[in-house]
Amino acid sequence: MSSHATAVDARGLQVGYRNGRDAVTILSDVDLTVPTGEFLTILGPSGCGKSTLLRVIANLLDPLGGQISVLGGAPEVARRSRKTGFVFQDATLLPWRSVLQNIRLPAVVGGHQAQPLSDSRVAEIIDLLGLSGLEDRYPSQLSGGQRQRVAIARALVDEPDILLMDEPFGALDEITRDRLNDELLSIWRDTGKTILFVTHSIEEAVYLGQRIMVLGANPGRILNLQDLRAIKTETNACKREDPAIVAEIAAQRELLARAS
Amino acid sequence: MSRTTTILAPIFGAVSILAAWQFLLPLSGVPAYIAPTPTKIFSVFFTQSDLILSNFVPTATEALAGFFFGNLAAVFFAILFAYAKFVRMAYFPVVLFFNTIPILALSPIIILIFGLGMTPKIIIAAIICFFPTLVNMLRGLQSATANEEELFRMLSATRFETFLRLHLPRSLPMLFSSLRIATATAVIGAIVGEWIGADKGLGALIIQATFNYQSDKLYAAIVASSSLSIALFAMVALAERWVMRGWSK
Ligand SMILES: Nc1ncnc2c1ncn2[C@@H]1O[C@H](COP(=O)(O)OP(=O)(O)O)[C@@H](O)[C@H]1O
Ligand SMILES: [Mg+2]
Repeated sequence: MSSHATAVDARGLQVGYRNGRDAVTILSDVDLTVPTGEFLTILGPSGCGKSTLLRVIANLLDPLGGQISVLGGAPEVARRSRKTGFVFQDATLLPWRSVLQNIRLPAVVGGHQAQPLSDSRVAEIIDLLGLSGLEDRYPSQLSGGQRQRVAIARALVDEPDILLMDEPFGALDEITRDRLNDELLSIWRDTGKTILFVTHSIEEAVYLGQRIMVLGANPGRILNLQDLRAIKTETNACKREDPAIVAEIAAQRELLARAS
Repeated sequence: MSRTTTILAPIFGAVSILAAWQFLLPLSGVPAYIAPTPTKIFSVFFTQSDLILSNFVPTATEALAGFFFGNLAAVFFAILFAYAKFVRMAYFPVVLFFNTIPILALSPIIILIFGLGMTPKIIIAAIICFFPTLVNMLRGLQSATANEEELFRMLSATRFETFLRLHLPRSLPMLFSSLRIATATAVIGAIVGEWIGADKGLGALIIQATFNYQSDKLYAAIVASSSLSIALFAMVALAERWVMRGWSK
């Protein structure tokens, strides 16, 4: 657990890509405060800049302007001290490493950031993600859902405070995705991590988030930041068929349709 | 199809062609100094095994040494070009130009410089192996996906760690595919070198046998050189299976 009350704080943030001297702004005027321990979902149409925003928070990309702090400091400090973990849509497992070796990757690279991982910690994370018995398999021998579990295990194994997830379940079938949604919620309850979860699925965004941030394109901006706690339990649980949840999904769909 | 059929079908194919060759050739009236029968070629390996072996060993040595040094240099330069951008920009075009010179045009110069021993043949075989491996290995070193690069950046991996744990493994499939091709080209390089100037080796034997109308020796030399390629290929395939045993099953 971090001692900072704020996990991510952005003021007038501009994100985009530099191309030589030119800069293409993708999202502008992003004002966002994410308290520690929150589960925030980020929803928006394809190409609106969700990944770009996440990459700025992860310090994989420099912002074009404005202010951004992660755990009270620069995003680079958080990345270098392994306070932020990243999960990619395609899992990005190394095909020449077994499940166990993929999970241990953070202990193998990273210069002096690479801390030895105890066997008990690795066993704990394998157990948490339900990967027992698959340790010696290679990525090509896993299902899509199992690969994402390994990717999450690798991101969590050296205990980051913030987990940035870029459409991690976007390529999975609906049944697997629903199950992984529930498992992710349970991991979040157990570990108290801050999670920023990008998705283009309205149902997934409403089901998972304590708050939901909706982005719009042309011009890229925050369309809406909505608190969902009123329609969920204390532990951020809800039923998919609950009328309040169904109504919320419809409202978000309406909002996105109107904006585009 | 069953496993035995998969193995037996190509053997049946080869045996049927050899049998047709053996029995139809005498009926066709083609003189023996142009095309000997398979049994006649095969018997050379027993009746003149010293001749075959004493010519096989130099060619095998040249091909193996050329394969080793050519590919080793290619891997070294690929790594250099992959990480030293200026060196790549300055010298890659030179290498590209060098590659456009036909090896047959280059070989006489190399023989002139290095004489008639094994050295020029090793150099020719090495040059033939060098370029495809350089290009493949360089492309392989640069073939990590954007997400993989970002994963390593997330973990604050050093440049050396990224090379060792990401770029090098990523380059292996492409390296091995060019090594497999190089097993054949290294043998071609050694034989071409021997054609231009040598008194021993399978290339020299091919030339002598041709001029003396000794077709059984000529064909035996051809069989010996393709066996050499096959043996090299098998060694590379074994090494590949061992190195890449974890990749996919
Ligand atoms: N490396 C890049 N250079 C320039 N433009 C990019 C780059 N990556 C993405 N973009 C552009 O930025 C926009 C937002 O991309 P992205 O953040 O990936 O969208 P999302 O994740 O919401 O689908 C897109 O229009 C895309 O074409
Ligand atoms: Mg994206």
